[in-house]
Amino acid sequence: MIQVLLDMLVTGLPLVPVFLGIYTVFRLRADFDLTVEGSFVLGGAVCALTLVHGWPSWLALLAGMAGAAAAGAVTALIHLLLRVPVLLAGLVMSIGLFSVNLHVLDTPTLSLGTEGTLFSGFGSLSGRQADLATSGVMAGVVAVVLVAFGLFLRTELGLALRATGVNARMARSQGVNDRRLTVLALVLANGLAGLGASLAVQYQGYADVNMGGGTFVAGVGAVLLGELFVRPSGSKLVRIVGCVLVGTLAYRLVLVGALRVGLPAGDLRGVTALTLLVAIAAERYLGALGGLTRTLARTARSARTPIRQEAA
Amino acid sequence: MLRLDDIDLIYNAGRVDEVVALRNLSVTFERGQFVTIVGTNGAGKSSLIQTISGAARPTRGRVHLDGRDVTRLPDHRRAGWIARVFDDPRAGTAPELSIEDNLALAMARGRARGLRFAVTARRRAVMREHVAGLGLGLENRLADRVGLLSAGQRQSLTMVMAALSAPSVLLLDEHLAALDPGTTATVLALTTELVRELGATTVMVTHNMDHALALGDRLLVMSRGRVIADYDGTEKSEMTVGGLIDRITGAGDAVSDRSALIEKVA
Repeated sequence: MIQVLLDMLVTGLPLVPVFLGIYTVFRLRADFDLTVEGSFVLGGAVCALTLVHGWPSWLALLAGMAGAAAAGAVTALIHLLLRVPVLLAGLVMSIGLFSVNLHVLDTPTLSLGTEGTLFSGFGSLSGRQADLATSGVMAGVVAVVLVAFGLFLRTELGLALRATGVNARMARSQGVNDRRLTVLALVLANGLAGLGASLAVQYQGYADVNMGGGTFVAGVGAVLLGELFVRPSGSKLVRIVGCVLVGTLAYRLVLVGALRVGLPAGDLRGVTALTLLVAIAAERYLGALGGLTRTLARTARSARTPIRQEAA
Repeated sequence: MLRLDDIDLIYNAGRVDEVVALRNLSVTFERGQFVTIVGTNGAGKSSLIQTISGAARPTRGRVHLDGRDVTRLPDHRRAGWIARVFDDPRAGTAPELSIEDNLALAMARGRARGLRFAVTARRRAVMREHVAGLGLGLENRLADRVGLLSAGQRQSLTMVMAALSAPSVLLLDEHLAALDPGTTATVLALTTELVRELGATTVMVTHNMDHALALGDRLLVMSRGRVIADYDGTEKSEMTVGGLIDRITGAGDAVSDRSALIEKVA
């Protein structure tokens, strides 16, 4: 059981920044950015390449982040200059990035060796202790990312970002530059994907040109799963980061569990798709339940503080 | 002073589905003037509002605000001087964000948005003071989602948001149209109070002839993209709803059911 949880942590924690990026576009901006399928690999590839060239592990992490963020910037440019939807711009990028990634890696799979990563020091430890130390380092990085992201959402810029996804017309009438925030959201989301990919690459010791497939669907599934447990909304910022954290780990727990019961690795994508479906179904089916508890909570609250309601 | 020079606003120019929204429109609004605008559907009232706000860029002509040419500035760059209240109560606020987040968004209007916290204790105190004036008890519900508010409450909140950054122009685009009669009276009272307090040049589009005559110190009648009548304060005070409707129908426009209905009741 403990091993299942450790597996969940070491494979799940690197995905938290990635899915936080997907949440940013999917929920905060109410849009779809498929760039992540390619930028995730690009981030990992850049990280692997810089590591092979002897860069320090922390710098390689940031390099991976920057590489993926640049991909997001290109998507934003395509969207703004050619006036195509973000969905289409991202789709084009995700296809094109495959070739770019192959050139960056120069081989379908680039191995790192055992030295120079964030987790190299743990080689001498026993399996379980190494996992514990690994997840500790990952948790540290993820915690910094989540706190920084939560604080960013509280700033004027972060608030403007949240507003554009809910009511773009209103945001513009309040002086928010919608186009600039589109760029910011895409750069941020893909940068986070690159950061997560760099963590994953450093842990697994190699970068693979196919490692990004299905990232988007997995992220959406994790977000929906998280929303079942934690009900986030535009102004509940702790819940937003909590939703991503819980959703990601729950999603990984499902996959790790599936492997444990003996499913072949090839079935994992099927399990991912099923998880997504179950999350959607649960959202629909349990939606009424959630609504009921919310109504009860509201009644209880208004009973405590009488509010003058206006006829409407 | 807000001046529109020779404005044409044409959609799909040169195509079979060409729509002329405004034609040769020139009008000057003096600083602090409160102007009401009436006209039938398609007369160009909302197009005029959009041209002033920057949501629509005119095909020809210039827009001047306080001596500077703002024709090429998009709406978000004019937001520091120009505040808008929409006809749809849902349009002016972000329903999923809290009341204080909506207010904070309005507070940063006209400034560069940076990495300062949007809601601080000091700003919250200012917000409380502003919404307390509404008498709706919203000052105790700052953390509530705006989606929980009624249409009238949301429209009142939008009015407060419009006033927060002391705009020099206030645009009210049929902002009472979607409210029930009781709420209309409340928001109307708030409107007159706010306009007096702000001293901003105010342009109010309405379908309600009574409101058009009772409020403000100047009345414009629009038809087919032009201003066909321009009444100053004294002329306006002598005008009746019937006379106003005659003026509109005289231009060959059918008065909408809504406006006609109001006349029957009156």
